[in-house]
Amino acid sequence: MSGLNITIEFGGGAELLFGNKKKQEVILPAKEGEWTLKDLIFWMKDNLLQERPELFIQDDSVRPGILVLVNDADWELMDTVKYVLEAKDKIVFISTLHGG
Amino acid sequence: MCSVGDDNLEEKTSKYMEPVPKFKLDDNKCNKCRASTPCIVLRGKDAYCQACFLSGTTHKFKAFLGKHRFVYPNDKVLVYHTEGHPSTSLLHFLRSGLDLSTPKKLRFEPIVIYIEDKIDLSSEERSDAAEFIRKQVEEYKFPLHYISLCDCVKKNNKVAECLVDDISKLSIGDNDKENLNQVLNSKANTTNKRDILKIYKKTILIEAAKHLGCKVVFTPELGIDIASQLLTNVSLGRGIHLALDVGICDNRDEDVKIVRPLRHFEIKELAMYNHFNRLEVVAKKEKLENIYSSVQSLMKNFVGGLQNNFPATITTIVRTGDKLAMEKSLEDNPRCVLCRGPQENRNEELTSAESTSFSHWVSTRSPQYSMTPVERYEKSLESFSVAGDSPYCFACERLSHDLVVS
Ligand SMILES: [Zn+2]
Ligand SMILES: [Zn+2]
Repeated sequence: MSGLNITIEFGGGAELLFGNKKKQEVILPAKEGEWTLKDLIFWMKDNLLQERPELFIQDDSVRPGILVLVNDADWELMDTVKYVLEAKDKIVFISTLHGG
Repeated sequence: MCSVGDDNLEEKTSKYMEPVPKFKLDDNKCNKCRASTPCIVLRGKDAYCQACFLSGTTHKFKAFLGKHRFVYPNDKVLVYHTEGHPSTSLLHFLRSGLDLSTPKKLRFEPIVIYIEDKIDLSSEERSDAAEFIRKQVEEYKFPLHYISLCDCVKKNNKVAECLVDDISKLSIGDNDKENLNQVLNSKANTTNKRDILKIYKKTILIEAAKHLGCKVVFTPELGIDIASQLLTNVSLGRGIHLALDVGICDNRDEDVKIVRPLRHFEIKELAMYNHFNRLEVVAKKEKLENIYSSVQSLMKNFVGGLQNNFPATITTIVRTGDKLAMEKSLEDNPRCVLCRGPQENRNEELTSAESTSFSHWVSTRSPQYSMTPVERYEKSLESFSVAGDSPYCFACERLSHDLVVS
């Protein structure tokens, strides 16, 4: 079985955590069972993240203040971390953390 | 036995408010048009399709301006621009409103100002940030002025002298942080430093507006910023200026009004608005701050928690701020020389703050034993009220000890 081909995009400053690249095409390695968004987040932590994990991850999800979109729809509509990825999905991470 | 707070209630759940439950979509239809597939969930419960969401967002902005009528046709409006989503949305709201060809078109003239205050970053990062801002504002075709916070503080707040309209004239120096710290007492705590810099920035906005012929300033605070400012104000003894600091309009200056047109927005709305409109947002380099380092960050963290778990509470705080008005009797009081808000009423009776400073003052004077104790008291009180005529309001009086120059 071949890997899962998806696109990851960053905005609002989330790209600063990932080597300042706004868009990356990635192939997730084939694994047993499905790839959920939670699996993706942890795979990104191990393979793409260039800053401290606590800037991206909190508990079993992304840090509050980072919005996630699946194919341009709010991930809250998709059961968030439990969403099962499909080939050619576009996942967007937008940081909303703003200073005061 | 006292029964207050006894929690032997059958319904344990009613004791605390429940965080918003995880969103569950009933029928996969937009709340508004009931036809399209939703793409965003707001306040953890309302789902909208892209078209309804975008038109609702624009409408909310224009409804705010229409309802309050701060701006008249051909007025110049100073727009305080900075990094992050809210500022970008604000520029886009304005540009698209001005470009309309319907009667709902906006008819004023925005002028953008960027206050360079990133003293925690390297000179190179700061220049880059300013350059990003320059490019961004150019795309929206608004005139842009720059000012260095540090420069301005060094030159004793002579704003007109420090405003530049060419980025190459914006002063960014390696020693800005030290220079800025020099005007503050080295022992000043983070809370007071932040409070002082916030007041300086507000002064810059008011003076720059006057210099550029603007009667109104738009600032990009969101509901969550208003809520944490409200709680911060109360904690720092700025209760009397609440209506000015968190209300719809800050009119402490006679000629220039500061208006917060994004006060009814939450960050998610604007971040998604920017995303769906494919707007480039200037990212803010973030430093992780210790939430216990200042009252402001503590409040921000607290309010941020409310936003995530109990979003309705933020709305309640902001709507409360909307209704606050300053006490009428304060209007003609002398102005505080630092924050320019009206000073507190001076009563015949000493307030608790005045009593504290009276006892400090009286105990540092040598008593005159030729008088009776009652005479001594009356004489002291009389000369105290002369000496006690502070040029500051209650909160700034406390801050003034941290200012090296004033
Ligand atoms: Zn709709
Ligand atoms: Zn004051």
